Amino acid sequence: MRIALLGLALALALSSVPAAREGPAAEGVTANQIVVGMSAPFTGASRSLGIELYRGSMAYFSEINRAGGVHGRRIALKAYDDGYQPDQAIKNTLKLMLEDKVFLLFDYVGTPTVTRVLPLLKKYDALHFRLFFPFTGAQPQREPPYDRLAVNLRASYQQETAGLVDNFLKIGRSRIAVFYQADAYGRSGWVGVREALAAHNLKIVAEATYTRGTKYTESLDRQVAIVEEAHPDAVISVGAYAACAAFIRDARKAGLTVPIANVSFVGSESMLELLTAASKADGHDYTVNLVNSQVVPSYENPGVPAVKEYLALMDKYHPLPPAGLAGADYKPLPHSFVSLEGFLNAKLLVEVLNRMGPDPARAKIEPTVSGIDAFELGMGPPISFAGQRNQGSDAIYYTTVEHGRFVPIRDWKAWSK
Amino acid sequence: MRVAKLFRKTMFGIFVLFGVIALSTSALCVYTVDRQLSSEYEANSRAIAQTIANSSTDIILNRDLSTLQSLIDQFKEIQGIKYVYIVNEEGDILAHTFVPGVPKAILAGDRVKLATVDRRLPGFGEFIEVSSPILDGIAGSVHVGMDKGLIALKIQTAIGQQVYLISIIFIVSIVGSFFLVNLAAKPLGRLGGYATQLAAPAAPASITPEDVQALLERNDEVGQLARLFRHLAARDTSWAPR
Repeated sequence: MRIALLGLALALALSSVPAAREGPAAEGVTANQIVVGMSAPFTGASRSLGIELYRGSMAYFSEINRAGGVHGRRIALKAYDDGYQPDQAIKNTLKLMLEDKVFLLFDYVGTPTVTRVLPLLKKYDALHFRLFFPFTGAQPQREPPYDRLAVNLRASYQQETAGLVDNFLKIGRSRIAVFYQADAYGRSGWVGVREALAAHNLKIVAEATYTRGTKYTESLDRQVAIVEEAHPDAVISVGAYAACAAFIRDARKAGLTVPIANVSFVGSESMLELLTAASKADGHDYTVNLVNSQVVPSYENPGVPAVKEYLALMDKYHPLPPAGLAGADYKPLPHSFVSLEGFLNAKLLVEVLNRMGPDPARAKIEPTVSGIDAFELGMGPPISFAGQRNQGSDAIYYTTVEHGRFVPIRDWKAWSK
Repeated sequence: MRVAKLFRKTMFGIFVLFGVIALSTSALCVYTVDRQLSSEYEANSRAIAQTIANSSTDIILNRDLSTLQSLIDQFKEIQGIKYVYIVNEEGDILAHTFVPGVPKAILAGDRVKLATVDRRLPGFGEFIEVSSPILDGIAGSVHVGMDKGLIALKIQTAIGQQVYLISIIFIVSIVGSFFLVNLAAKPLGRLGGYATQLAAPAAPASITPEDVQALLERNDEVGQLARLFRHLAARDTSWAPR
């Protein structure tokens, strides 16, 4: 009898080893799963950004999960819709952190949302929550006091806009106007343009704004009039695809033919889809003289290892939009810069989780991330977080529309003044 | 006929009275609401401008303008606040909430000056703009525009509600006065008919004997008059019925 009881106790002790291994610091981690939380727009005028980012990440997670997961744990992506509204993003984040108890936050979309969520991370600093790879190039999560709380993969808007300004100046286009979203995201891009011009003793010649959530069907004639009055050599747009496409359409209709540049957040394919449809309807080509900066390489280039992998896994899994969040009318894009970014985010996150070993804990995130130095993600330049960097990549790629597709710009001189 | 004449006069009196009441109370309402709301809005705007100024110092010094934008965007959601803009010490606008762009009147004006001003911005409306310095003005200033259109709307609403109430009272008064005038005029009409009957007995009677009996039995002024007429008719044979 005594031997039987000892045997039972030993069996119980052995069976409890995995649970003990997790410990209290491993919220969001079970014996067979790691849950990461996402808040993004899956409805509204910017839904394509959230949906495609999610789909890109899911393509990679699906492959990893199929192969057995990370140290035997599958990765689950718990997503909530915030409609690109800051207050809803805060509510979603609180839910993810305190109710769902996810392991970490991942793939958030937007500057106005992320800038409002950062103080929450600060408030719950003791829980060691970290936000991985937000889909925004804004400064707040790159600078104190929040730089420690977020891990960025993509280059910043300041880098993107500075690159656009420098390239325009090189071809003699110095009168630069800005069209931007009237919120933290737009301001972030506006600052980038302003500072890049200031470095050349220049100023923004005109600026026009629009309200977040503006639909493509709305008229942006008033904004076009403000910009046109200053006779700019180029316009840099810092907005979302629906409003930026509407601005381009109305600007071209008004006879403003100068190059119009957009930053990576815009959602290039969704914007192009709207402009292509409008071009067909109006008999006017709205896709000429467009320049889009990107923070990931072109998905048209399978010579880049990560792009090749992305194309293969997107075609293999055809990831669906998050169940119950996105409308049934949404048509997923076969490939896009946004889903490629989601894919790369997922790939780098898996690398971080792998490096954490079989006992992941939030407290291990910071040292693990800072240990990533010159890591080959397969997108081109290596990724580094060493030396207290909180942004892995500085790479920017410039694209334009040719034959209905975004292709890399080979020569800016085509737009020389 | 007699009732209609009496009622017309009464209604005219009521109409004049209510007109005077409506006009005087509306004028008083406009004056009071405008004064109170304007001063309340100005005080609120000043408090908001000071709050933004106090909390934006670090943000401006750290040159994080997107956070500054997030900050002012939150205040724009407060009812009545139509715009917020922040300028640096040189008057350059660092963040604002204007759509589709900063109005020319503000771009052309003196943005460093700290004063409460009434602004008329074409395409935007009329505003009370208050300012608050950041770090005593050496780091710039915050400007908050409160919508005067909202004050006008609130005044309109208050007056509308008042007029609505007065109109209801007016209608009730008309109906009531019609009933009361009718109540008073009916016995007078009968009295008139009785008097006519006494004066011209040969003429066709406009009042029945039952009505005459009821009239004589009344214990009010009309009854007294009826009895007096009968008495006078009895004394003067020329009045007496034949």
